[in-house]
Amino acid sequence: MASQLKVDTLTGVTTAGSIVVTGEGNSTTTSLQQGLAKSWVCLKGSDTFAVRDSFNTTSATDNGVGDYTTTRSNALANGDYATAGICSATGGGDPHYNFIVENSENSGTKIRTTTALRTYILNARDNQSTNDAPDYSMTFMGDLA
Amino acid sequence: MASILRVNTLTDASSNNSTAMSTVFGGSGKAWLQHNSSHAIQDSFNFASITDGGTGLTSDATFTSAMVNDDYAISGCAGATTNDDGFWALTAIATTDFNVRCRTHNGNLNDSNNASLVVHGDLA
Repeated sequence: MASQLKVDTLTGVTTAGSIVVTGEGNSTTTSLQQGLAKSWVCLKGSDTFAVRDSFNTTSATDNGVGDYTTTRSNALANGDYATAGICSATGGGDPHYNFIVENSENSGTKIRTTTALRTYILNARDNQSTNDAPDYSMTFMGDLA
Repeated sequence: MASILRVNTLTDASSNNSTAMSTVFGGSGKAWLQHNSSHAIQDSFNFASITDGGTGLTSDATFTSAMVNDDYAISGCAGATTNDDGFWALTAIATTDFNVRCRTHNGNLNDSNNASLVVHGDLA
C-alpha cells in the first residue's frame, strides 16, 4: 500500500544525526545524512556575475577573472569535505575549455574553511590562464557542524 | 529504541515539498572522499581504502558497500599543488572499486591536494 509521511524534520532515534535508508537492491542500507549534498551552487561567471541558484550558500564573490569564493550558510564540521564541480567552455569561434581547481597550499590565496571555498577556472588551452565561464557548478559532500 | 519506517513519500507538514523515497535514495551520494597529495584519506563515506599507485594515480578506490553495476557516476575536483593545476581522468571502473589519474593541463601526472571524488548510482 502506498503511504505518505508528512513531517518537517527527520531525526534518528538512536543517534539524532544517523538515519539509514534501504538501497535500490532492497537489502543494502546507506546513511541518509552522509549521502546528502550539504551545499551546492550554480553561478553565472561571465557578463554580470550572479548566483543562478543555490542551497546552503549565503554568498558568492567575484574576486576577479575566473576567481570565485562561495560561502556556506551552515558550516561544515571541518575542511575535509569533498567537492565536485564543472564549468562550461567560453564561447566564440575558438572555444576555451575550462576546468576548476583550488589554488596551491603555498600560494597565499588558498581559501578552504568550514564555510568558504575559493576556486579558479583555468583555461586548458591557453597556458592555464584564468577564465570566466558562463556556467559554474559546485557540490559539497561532508559533515555539517 | 531503533525503528523502521516504511513509507513511499515524504512531505512536509504543510503538504508541500513532496519527495518520493526513490528520489531520496536515488539522489543521495553513495560514496565520497577527500584525500591529500600523499593519498591519505582526510574524510570519507563508504570508502574502505585507496591505494597510492604512484604520482597522480589513485588506485583501487574501494567501496565498503559495492555498487550494483559499473554504470555509476563519478565526479570530483582536484586541488592544485605548488604551481600545478589538476583534473581527473577515469582509467578503470568496477562495482567494488575504480582507478583515477590526476593530470595537469599539459597531461603530466600530478599528486593533487584536497582531491575530491563523489559517487552517485545504485548500491548492490
